Amino acid sequence: MSRDERAMSDDAPRPVSHEGGDVHEWGPLVDGLVARREQALGMGGPELVDRQHSLGKLTVRERLERLVDQGTFVEFGMLADHMDPGLGDRYLAADGCVTGVGDVDGRRVAIAAYDFTVMAGSMGAVGEDKVSRIRELALRQRIPMVWLLDSAGARISSQSGSTFAGMGALFREQVAMSGVVPMVAAMLGHCAAGTAYIPALADFVPMVKGTSSMALGGRHLVKAAVGEDVTEEEMGGSAVHTKVSGVADLEVADDDECLAVVRRYLSFFPSNNRERPPERPTDDPVDRRVDELHAIVPTAPRRAYDVRRVVTAIVDDGDVLWMKPDWAKNVVTALAHVGGAAVGIVANQPMVLGGALDVNAADKAARFVWLCDAFNIPLVFLHDVPGFVVGSAVEKQGIIRHGAKMLFAVSEATVPKISVVMRKSYGAGYFVMNGLAYEADYIVTWPTAEIAVMGPDGAVAIIHRRTLEAVPEEERATKRLELAEEIRRNIDPYVAAGHAKVDDVIDPAETRAAIARGLRVSRDKHVERPWRKHGVLPV
Amino acid sequence: MAEVRAEITANVWQVVAEEGQMVAEGDEIVILESMKMEIPVVTETPGVVREIHVQPEDVVQEGDLIAIIDES
Repeated sequence: MSRDERAMSDDAPRPVSHEGGDVHEWGPLVDGLVARREQALGMGGPELVDRQHSLGKLTVRERLERLVDQGTFVEFGMLADHMDPGLGDRYLAADGCVTGVGDVDGRRVAIAAYDFTVMAGSMGAVGEDKVSRIRELALRQRIPMVWLLDSAGARISSQSGSTFAGMGALFREQVAMSGVVPMVAAMLGHCAAGTAYIPALADFVPMVKGTSSMALGGRHLVKAAVGEDVTEEEMGGSAVHTKVSGVADLEVADDDECLAVVRRYLSFFPSNNRERPPERPTDDPVDRRVDELHAIVPTAPRRAYDVRRVVTAIVDDGDVLWMKPDWAKNVVTALAHVGGAAVGIVANQPMVLGGALDVNAADKAARFVWLCDAFNIPLVFLHDVPGFVVGSAVEKQGIIRHGAKMLFAVSEATVPKISVVMRKSYGAGYFVMNGLAYEADYIVTWPTAEIAVMGPDGAVAIIHRRTLEAVPEEERATKRLELAEEIRRNIDPYVAAGHAKVDDVIDPAETRAAIARGLRVSRDKHVERPWRKHGVLPV
Repeated sequence: MAEVRAEITANVWQVVAEEGQMVAEGDEIVILESMKMEIPVVTETPGVVREIHVQPEDVVQEGDLIAIIDES
């Protein structure tokens, strides 16, 4: 009987691990493996784990537990270490970055989660090899990629120097993934340089208030390079990036809220650009009348109201994920569902700048349209726009270039595009909000709609400038009003409907039903453009 | 002390608040008129209106000072 045969027969003596002689010595080997795993799960050690908690942050492994469905995380490279002779026998658990694949709502997601307790989550060679593998895997499997960022950036060692010449593939690869699979970068710590460009190239960037930041140069580098003495928070905290720069999408209170919002964001998206977004069943009837819109929206065209109340009223269950809600507030961008279908909503906000579009609003809307279009999420435009802001201030900011960017994004988008003209929709504002000529699949107006190249007062000033100059000065104001009234008579939704330049005029209460109709008729939309490498984007 | 500034080039249409008045966060100080719209300018700081620097029919540029609020 051979050794193997004896081991397999029931009456044979079992191999015993701690005795020598003619048995398999698996015990110490398995014990050694268990010890290594425990060491990896211990991250940077109890002291640094306590320190992480004392800052109000979760550890990388606690974060993963909250991000993925329970028990679904498959880790790649748990036993990684730095392998750098320069760092001697120091142990760096997982080399500072935990990578793997887990389920979010039953769908697989690739994850790279930096561990601040291990050498400040710095990007080491082995850790980055792991991230690179998981990124490639996300692309190959066509599943979303999520980064949990809590990292000081590149691991700078005295050996670094000009081997830098070969670095940087991570960003190029991330660019290649853009629009193929959804990418989320959650900001959970102070991130500089390398870990600030990752979110810049991702689709969705939530930031934890108080504990996270991003900046091209960290605090110490900034002091050395330009002499400025600022904190991470002042330079690149959530207040800066969600209210001023627009780099991040959402400010959240803590790690828990951050991870919950990542799950929520992904629920709107397909796993990749070849799939449709998942349907979300609802008991909210698609033909529900929205009578409250009569109370929310004033018929007086100059009077402001909060368009977010309109959005909340028309979507399924009033459930909305606002995107960049604290930046460029004159345009509202939001993810929601109508009749179970995911939609991206672009709405003018009359509460801020009268809803007029400026450089940041155009930027915000263009980016959102590109995002939805990339992942087959239909777009709904709610018009109440007096146009683009005009004047020397905005020209210096490049309003033409930014306006062109929004025009470009809306023109390019081939997803179903529905428009509801609630009140004003003037000039290029009407075009960039998906006017009929922009392959609008269904365009309806309310009885209050005003679609025209410009408002009556502006038109009078241009068309009748000479007429007015000829009138004695004391009569000019009256004459101006008269002429404006004449023009106003032609700015009427029934003129547009009479020419069949809009598909229907609806009662505001029918808005939800109309959007659902538009989504239904355009569901199988297919548009082919002439071949090109890519357009030349105004940015 | 908090400053309330214009966010857009506009005509001042109405001055809603008065100097010495108590205001809460989100209260309107003045209403501008620009881009065919009434644009309410609100205070983000609760307190007492110390000074109002504009009157109806004034033209304000983006960033111009409209009012000063003493924080409560």
